[in-house]
Amino acid sequence: MTTLITKTITKICLPLVILFSISLLLAGHNNPGGGFIGGVMFASVIALTYVAYGLDFIKSFFNPDWGNWFGFGLLLASVTAFAAMAFSHNFFRSAVEFVHLPFFGEIELVSAGLFDIGVYFVVIGGLLSIFKNVGDDR
Amino acid sequence: MPFVLAGILPAVEKLLKDKIGWYASAVAFLSLLLVAQAAPEIIHGETIQGSIEWLPSVGIDFSFYIDGLSVMFGFIVSGIGVIIMSYSNGYMSKKEDLPRYYQQLLFFMGSMLGMVFSANTIQLFIFWELTSVTSFMLIGYWRNRPMSVYGATKSMLITATGGLFMLAGFLVLHAITGTFDIPTIMHSESIKEMLHGHDLFLAALILIFIGAASKSAQGPFYIWLPNAMEAPTPVSAFLHSATMVKAGIYLVARIHPIFSGTDAWFIMVSGIGIFTMLLAGFLAFRQTDIKGILAYSTISQLAYLMTMYGYTTHHHPGIGVAAATFHLLNHATFKACLFLVAGIVAHETATRDITKMGGLRKEMPITFIVATIGALSMAGIPPLNGFLSKEMFYESSVEMGHLLGGPWSILIPALAVLGGVFTFAYSIKLIDGIFLGKRPSKGLPDHIHDPSMIMLAPAIFLAGLIILFGLVPSIPVHYFVGPTVSGILLEEAHLHVKLWHGITPSLIMTIVTFALGILTYTQYGKIADWQDRFNAKFPWISVNYYYDATVENAKNVTAKFSNRMQPGPVKTYVVALLLLVIAMFAIPAALLATSFIPQNLNFDVPLYESLIFLFMVVSALGAALLPRYIPAIISLSGLGYLVALLFIYLQAPDLALTQVLVETLSTIIFLLAIVKIPQKFREHIPASTLVRDLLISVTIASIVFIMLINATQGIVPPFESLSHYFIEKSLPLAGGHNIVNVIIVDFRGYDTLGEISVLCLAAFGVYNLIHSRGDDQ
Repeated sequence: MTTLITKTITKICLPLVILFSISLLLAGHNNPGGGFIGGVMFASVIALTYVAYGLDFIKSFFNPDWGNWFGFGLLLASVTAFAAMAFSHNFFRSAVEFVHLPFFGEIELVSAGLFDIGVYFVVIGGLLSIFKNVGDDR
Repeated sequence: MPFVLAGILPAVEKLLKDKIGWYASAVAFLSLLLVAQAAPEIIHGETIQGSIEWLPSVGIDFSFYIDGLSVMFGFIVSGIGVIIMSYSNGYMSKKEDLPRYYQQLLFFMGSMLGMVFSANTIQLFIFWELTSVTSFMLIGYWRNRPMSVYGATKSMLITATGGLFMLAGFLVLHAITGTFDIPTIMHSESIKEMLHGHDLFLAALILIFIGAASKSAQGPFYIWLPNAMEAPTPVSAFLHSATMVKAGIYLVARIHPIFSGTDAWFIMVSGIGIFTMLLAGFLAFRQTDIKGILAYSTISQLAYLMTMYGYTTHHHPGIGVAAATFHLLNHATFKACLFLVAGIVAHETATRDITKMGGLRKEMPITFIVATIGALSMAGIPPLNGFLSKEMFYESSVEMGHLLGGPWSILIPALAVLGGVFTFAYSIKLIDGIFLGKRPSKGLPDHIHDPSMIMLAPAIFLAGLIILFGLVPSIPVHYFVGPTVSGILLEEAHLHVKLWHGITPSLIMTIVTFALGILTYTQYGKIADWQDRFNAKFPWISVNYYYDATVENAKNVTAKFSNRMQPGPVKTYVVALLLLVIAMFAIPAALLATSFIPQNLNFDVPLYESLIFLFMVVSALGAALLPRYIPAIISLSGLGYLVALLFIYLQAPDLALTQVLVETLSTIIFLLAIVKIPQKFREHIPASTLVRDLLISVTIASIVFIMLINATQGIVPPFESLSHYFIEKSLPLAGGHNIVNVIIVDFRGYDTLGEISVLCLAAFGVYNLIHSRGDDQ
């Protein structure tokens, strides 16, 4: 599986796919996309690098604890959910705010988006820690 | 508040390193100040209440109620907390996992405080169980010692189960009174009258009392406390003498206004109390471990309190309440002091076996004096505070016996004196065994000395309190006992406690106690020997025997059960599940017979869709029939991609995208896992199994098929699609154009939160699966 072609393509794809996954995540509220898909896409490309270059080689310089990622994501998602309560709304009430920024034009800030980011991290962390564990097993 | 400050403890640990204990003490001190802030109003006889809405639909609020009782407990919990955490700075070795230790201590303290200020039974229950959990962790602090784990498990099993009984009792109480709010029940005469006349009164009382008794190690539940002594000594001092075990006493005092005044109350609370007091006092003789003696003495002292809270009749409510409350305070001081001394002695001599000690008074003079003060106070010798409350105990016993009349007027005071005699004997044993007599020739380190001031100061402080409370009883009575008593009895309390109040029956009883106590002490060894012989001869008389047998049996039974239910291959479970599904659908289907299959089917499918379906069938067959793993997996994932293609045709880009990505990832994971196992051809399957499997899968497939047809065009009229609701509302309510995403993160956000938690669990599961298998090899 680790031919030169795979390695080269992986190298090119990696940043592009990561950017694309982030854009998917952010676009999710209005267009196809969202935290889940973005997260899976991110996880796939990391998985691709693992396969192309071998887990041991990657681990020598890039070895995050994916468990922390999903812990963080879960925390973010729950905090978002509970935050509404602090402003005496119901649990999970989402807030929408439109902000005008100089370069990007009008931008929509949704608290649900924050929740989506939490989902994103959980998906990445969960999938990749499964992946790493299965792949690392000998 | 301790919860929050305990949460940041690991961060502070990086700053302070091994001085972290001081931070914990500071947190405890802060709590003490907060409690003290409420005190002045309470002393004036007022109460403070407040609540935050929590679960309004079932009438549960997050509410607190502060009266004399909760303030006194608040003082004991946070005050002893300060003392214990400062002491731990000297006791705990720097190599221990200190952040975990202090964090758990603070969590425990927070739960305790939360419990005593709860105004609501459900909230009280939650904090109650939290104290069980934190104490479980603290007892099991030394995780690799089997005895620690055994003790922790035991205390958890017993106290947490008791807590569940208590919850059931609270629910019964709610069924009777219709409220979870404690002050409401306490202050409303009509509710109380209704409660006392109710059929379920006894059930509620017994259930709640089981909770209290299990927590305070009363009656048959006492067995967990001695084993809990495996915890580090400061923990024992904090949890098992001064605070947690008193939670049961607190509960009894808290429900005193609600339940007392009935025969059932007196018989149960005082009866169990007296029984436990005598039994534990007697059993203490056999102990050779200092902490063991202290454990049994704690049980018996708690039983004093129970007994006194039980002393009440309808016409004379709460005879013993003042005495109990005063003794509660005193017990917290002298028992914590004794535990600290036990910790010091064990720390310096490296043993806790009292038979190996003796004659340490010259080497540890300060410890000796402090210990003597604590033990003499426990024995009830004037002018220490233990004397005063013991006098009050005798006085209330006499009064109670007098009220009941007949033989009781002699019997109840006599039993009280007997309890006092035992207490006297083991208190003297502590002093005599450790400090007096001759130093044994071997078994002790050569140089024993008083420890550093860090460890001594808290004990000295407590000893000072003992003397102060004894000499000037008006201080504790005015500030603590009075408000508490009025909190329990709901009326102004007038207490007069003096060292000398003339020749009264209680004074005579005290003198008798001392005389008998000295007499008993001369026979101390003989009684202990007799108990040892008795235990060896009749092991089945002890409660521990039954506890061990039950736990052991439970293990065996569950092991057998799971062996039978989980024989191994996944296939077995799948077959069982599918058979269940068939049973679920086949029975109604057979009943309805032909009407289930719609008459005129609409198979008007466009050509490209039929093509996709054809490919799907082919690849599914490939996945099932290909003889090697890798081609089979590729075939399977081909099926997945075809589904994604179908989604695209059906205009669901979100789903298609998800399907493609998940399919890719799962194929990679599959391949990774598969490469590791031998690529052999599939094993030979006997014909009968093959036929059975085929039958099952064909049946399932047809069931699914029929169900789908029914859902879309069958006898069930097609219900209105929900999508228009989401299409209308997604922009105005959630501000998003992508309906799928809005549904996921907004309309059904709670669902998603659950799902991502499941994902995390799955990741943990995989981790465990792989690592546990690695360990076995």
